[in-house]
Formats: sequence, structure tokens, C-alpha cells
Amino acid sequence: MQKNKIEAKKVSVFYNDKKALNEITLSIPEKKVTSLIGPSGCGKSTFLRCINRMNDTIEGCSMTGRILIDNKDINEKSLDPVLLRARVGMVFQKPNPFPKSIFENVAYGPKIHGLTQSSDELNELVEESLKKAGLFSEIKDRIHEPGTSLSGGQQQRLCIARAISISPEIILMDEPCSALDPIATAKIEELIDELAHNFTIVIVTHSMQQAARVSKQTAFFHMGNLIEVGKTDSIFSNPSEKKTQDYITGKIG
Amino acid sequence: MTKNFEKINDSLIKRQKSEKNFKLFGLIGIICAISFLIIILTSIIIEGKKAFVSTYIKLDVFFDSKIIDPDNTKEDSVIKSANFNEIITKSILENFPEVTDRKEKIKLSTFISSSAEDELIKLIILDKALIDQKKELWLLASSTIDVIHKNPDMLNFPEDERLIDDKELKWFQWFLSEEKIKFSANKNFFSNADSTEPEQAGIWGAFVGSFLTLFVTLILSFPIAVAAGVFLEELAPKNKFTDFIEVNINNLAAVPSIIFGLLGLAIFLNVMHLPRSAPIVGGMVLALMTLPTIIIATRASLRAVPPSIREAAIGLGATKFQTVTHHVLPLSMPGISTGTIIGMSQALGESAPLLMIGMVAFIVDSPGSIFDSATVLPVQIYLWKSTAARGFVELTAAGVMVLLSFLVLMNAIAVYVRYKFEKKW
Repeated sequence: MQKNKIEAKKVSVFYNDKKALNEITLSIPEKKVTSLIGPSGCGKSTFLRCINRMNDTIEGCSMTGRILIDNKDINEKSLDPVLLRARVGMVFQKPNPFPKSIFENVAYGPKIHGLTQSSDELNELVEESLKKAGLFSEIKDRIHEPGTSLSGGQQQRLCIARAISISPEIILMDEPCSALDPIATAKIEELIDELAHNFTIVIVTHSMQQAARVSKQTAFFHMGNLIEVGKTDSIFSNPSEKKTQDYITGKIG
Repeated sequence: MTKNFEKINDSLIKRQKSEKNFKLFGLIGIICAISFLIIILTSIIIEGKKAFVSTYIKLDVFFDSKIIDPDNTKEDSVIKSANFNEIITKSILENFPEVTDRKEKIKLSTFISSSAEDELIKLIILDKALIDQKKELWLLASSTIDVIHKNPDMLNFPEDERLIDDKELKWFQWFLSEEKIKFSANKNFFSNADSTEPEQAGIWGAFVGSFLTLFVTLILSFPIAVAAGVFLEELAPKNKFTDFIEVNINNLAAVPSIIFGLLGLAIFLNVMHLPRSAPIVGGMVLALMTLPTIIIATRASLRAVPPSIREAAIGLGATKFQTVTHHVLPLSMPGISTGTIIGMSQALGESAPLLMIGMVAFIVDSPGSIFDSATVLPVQIYLWKSTAARGFVELTAAGVMVLLSFLVLMNAIAVYVRYKFEKKW
């Protein structure tokens, strides 16, 4: 039996008075890739940002319902969101490396959380993270150059390396390839396949092909509602809802 | 289609004409601004550059032991209390044996600045072998002679419009013809504080005063303003109360500076009993005035940092405070420091609030600490401008030149800081 890492129960999100998500109930399996698809403004990114409580930083945003990670409510008062975000990493739509060196970018997370004892250990961790993100061989000679000097695809892999440097259990990806060209996109997708062995990954994507390529489970959002969720193969070949069919055939979107 | 084309073509002529007019107005504005600037600067420089030299008169000084040290003690204290004025008068009279009248003798002796006595005392104390020797020396002329020497066209004025009478003029012209009068660098201007005698007055006291005052201003306003800006922009909840504070900070930036001076007078002097005329109080008053400027600059540059940087740090599990101190603040530092330097140069040029707390006093010593009485550059300029003696006209202009150079230097630093530390992301 498949173990579920994340359980969302009747999650609704409001921006001031505007309802952005309507009672989403969704289970996300451990160490698999789940993709969230749907037209712009359907609430898929909002849902993603609930999982590591990034919405807390937005003025006027509130949430009802429960999200459980390993059967623990993440919105419990006793849980510090900082601790949650150390367990749930995030990769953003636009590559956003810090304007510091590549090394500093990856080393930042372990440093603030005090994960390493010595600088040797830190060097090793940085190298390992860069290797896991498939970036090390390309940049090993310029690890102290600014992270912003890399190409878009490399920057995004740097951001992934930065996210996995603190060994989170879950990685959230918010349209990680939307700013990238097809070749860079292919590399990231390959990397996602690789990472799924060790991490639970939730990815928001605009591209249905991408969802079909990388994910085991797909959830289709529309106008703040979860329309359908299921195995990626069955969603794309045999959707049970008409709206899903309309979307994947290009009638809405 | 052709109909539209004609319509568009017609309106295009109109549109381009208004653009042309706008450009013309802009150009006229810039030309006006530049020409005013040039006029101001040249008039200041023409007048001010005269203050950087002073007039010296050559005399054969005989250090008569009868006057300096009649008992041959060679004691410094004896030398210091000797009547060197008599020595100078004698040396100058040597050149004019025909002068016998007492009043005329006094007039002649005032050709030399009273500070020359101190020069001679120093000389003798350093080298006592000079006693009973004759030495050819260039002595600082008095301000009246200096003014006449610097403005030769005054020689042709009628006697009552001139600073000197006909006899003095004759003597002056004798010195000229004998080449016993010359210009040399004005050392007093850059080393002395204020004085009642223009030839002895200098800007150094005011310069040190300005420096100490700005130092206090910076130490107080920078940390407080940056902390306030960061708190309001990054940490405080956005509600009616913070909105109210924000509006008031913006209003504070527009409060006339003399009000801050009155506040300083009422609180710092009358309630806290801090020393009057001291840079510590001046700095505190100017810090109040500079605070809103730096807070506004801080908030603007914090806002200019892209939210993606904040998200990246928050997403990694950095606390809000870590996000700000590790990422946002370093990135906004160029903007904050530029704003600070601009605030500082405003403070440097400020005189009104300092008048209120007594920094307008006549101070002959350079301040040694922030608790000593001091004045600042703009106030010194104001003081000189309001003094009657003719010699202060040049000093005023020279003071303006020093103040402006200080300002240009600070603004250049601001530009450099912005250029050097700006990071791309």
C-alpha cells in the first residue's frame, strides 16, 4: 500500500474576502512526483504555497482546513513555520539565486540551520548538493563566482541544489521550467526523475506534457476547485470529468 | 484607409510640434540653470581666491635686548612679556626717518598685523642667539593694507572713500616701489579659528566644528533611521497605526529646520542641560532633522530589493530577521548610504537650527571635543558676512568655497558608493 506523505483536508484559502481555494482534499504519496495542473489563476500555486506556509508572508491571506505532513498538522500553533520550511523545500518559478557566489548560495541553508560542524564538512555538503542537482561538473572550476552569472537553466539547478542542501523531505516546485528553454527544461525534468527516489515532489506546471512526463499522480485544478485527481496515465488517457477532458484537449485554459 | 492616413498625418504635425516646444522649454531651463550656476561660482571664486593669499611686508627687525630682555635672563617668560610692538614700530619707522609725529607713528605701526608680535616671540624663543641681531623678515600686514594691496583700483579713490588716508597711501606706495611688500600663502586661513582681525581669521575652527557636529549626527541618525526603516518596511504589520507613522515621517521631512533648533533649545539645553554651543547638541538637533531623510531612503531601497530574494531565503527556512540582515539589507546598502550622505550634506549646509542652540558664538579656538564650544561652516560664513570690516568680504567668499568643496566631496562619495556597491541580480 502506498504511503501518503501529505494529506490536505478541506483546505480553503482566502485573500482578504476573496476565496482562492475551495475545500481541497488531496493526498500526496511519498517519494513520488505529483503534479498540479490547471489554467492560470486556478489556485494551484496557492495550494502549493500552503504546504510550506509561504502564504503566511502574504498580507491578508488566510487558510481554513488542515494539512497534515506525516499525520501532523502543519498549522499547529506549536510548530514554527521556520522548522516546517526546513523540511519542505521550495523552488520558484523564476530562478532566484542570491547575488552571492555559487558556493555561498548552496552553503546558506546549512549555515543558518547549523547543519555542519566544520568548513570541510560544509564544502563536502555543498559539493554533494551540487552533484545531486547535476550542476557540479559544469561549474566546479567557478564555484566562487556569482550565482547570477550562470545561465537560466543552471541558475534553476543551483536553486534546486540550494533547496536540497538542507535535506528536506518534500520539495515544492512552482513552475520551475516556465522561464527556461526546452534543453534546460529537459535537464530539469531528468533531475526531477532522479530526485523522486529520495524526495516527495509536488510540482506546479502549465505544461501538460511536462506533467505527463515527470509525474506519477496528477491533480487538475479549475477556478479554485480540485476537479480530478488520479494516476497521471489515467488522467491523460481517460479523464472521468468533462472539464479535465476539455482542458487537456485544449478547449479551456 | 487613405482617409485615416490623412487624419493621422495632420495630427502628427501637431503632436511633433508640441514635442518640439517641450524640448525647447527644457533646453532653456537647463541653460538658465547652468548660467546661474556659472555666475555664482565665478563671482565666489573671483572674490574668494583673494583670501588664500595675504600681504607680507619686509622689515629689518632689530631684536633689541634692552626691550626684550634687559636683565639678560634668557627666560622664556621674560621674552613673552616683552613689548614686541615697540620692536616692530621701531623697525618700520627706520624706513621713514621723516615721521616724528606720535599719531603718525601709530598709524605706521598699524601697517603690521598684531599677530606679528607672536611670530617674533616664537622666533626668539626658538633661537635666543637672535637677540641683539638684525634680521630681515616678512611680517604679516594688517587687513587694511591687505585689502588695499588686493584691490589696486582703490588707490585712485578719493581720500574719504579709501580705507587709508593720503599719508598712509604714500607710505604704502613706498613699500610697493621698494618691493618690500608681497603676496604669500595665507596660512592663517586654514589653521586658525575666528578672529576679530580679518588677516588672522581662519576657517579651521569652523571646519572642525562642522566635522564634529556631523560625526555626532551620523552616529545618532544612521543606526536609528535604518532600524526604524527596516522595522516599518519589513517587520511591522501594515495597519492604521503604521500608516499614521509613515505619514508623519513624511511630514517630518518637510518641517522647517529652525523648528528642530527650537526643539533642541527647549529640550536639550533647557531640560537636559547639555552644554550650549557644543557640537554634541548641534549634532543631536541635526540628527533629528536628518532622521526622516534616511528613513525614507532606507524604505525606498528596501522596497527596491526584489521579493524573489526574500522568498528564496524564507523558503530555505531563514527567519524574517535573518532574511533582512543577510540578504535584503546588504542589497539595499548602496541606496541607504547614498540617502545618508545626502542627508549629511543637508545637515552640513544647515545654519538656522544651530543659531537656536548658540552655535553662533564668536569662538577663537578650534574645538577639541564634541563638548567644547564651536561653530560650523555655514554659521561662520554668516558671521563673517555680517561683520563690518572690509577684510571679511574675501573670507566670506573663501568660506563659501570651502563649504561647497566639502559638499561636492560628500556628493562625490555618494555617487562612488552607489556605483561601487550596486549589485546586479
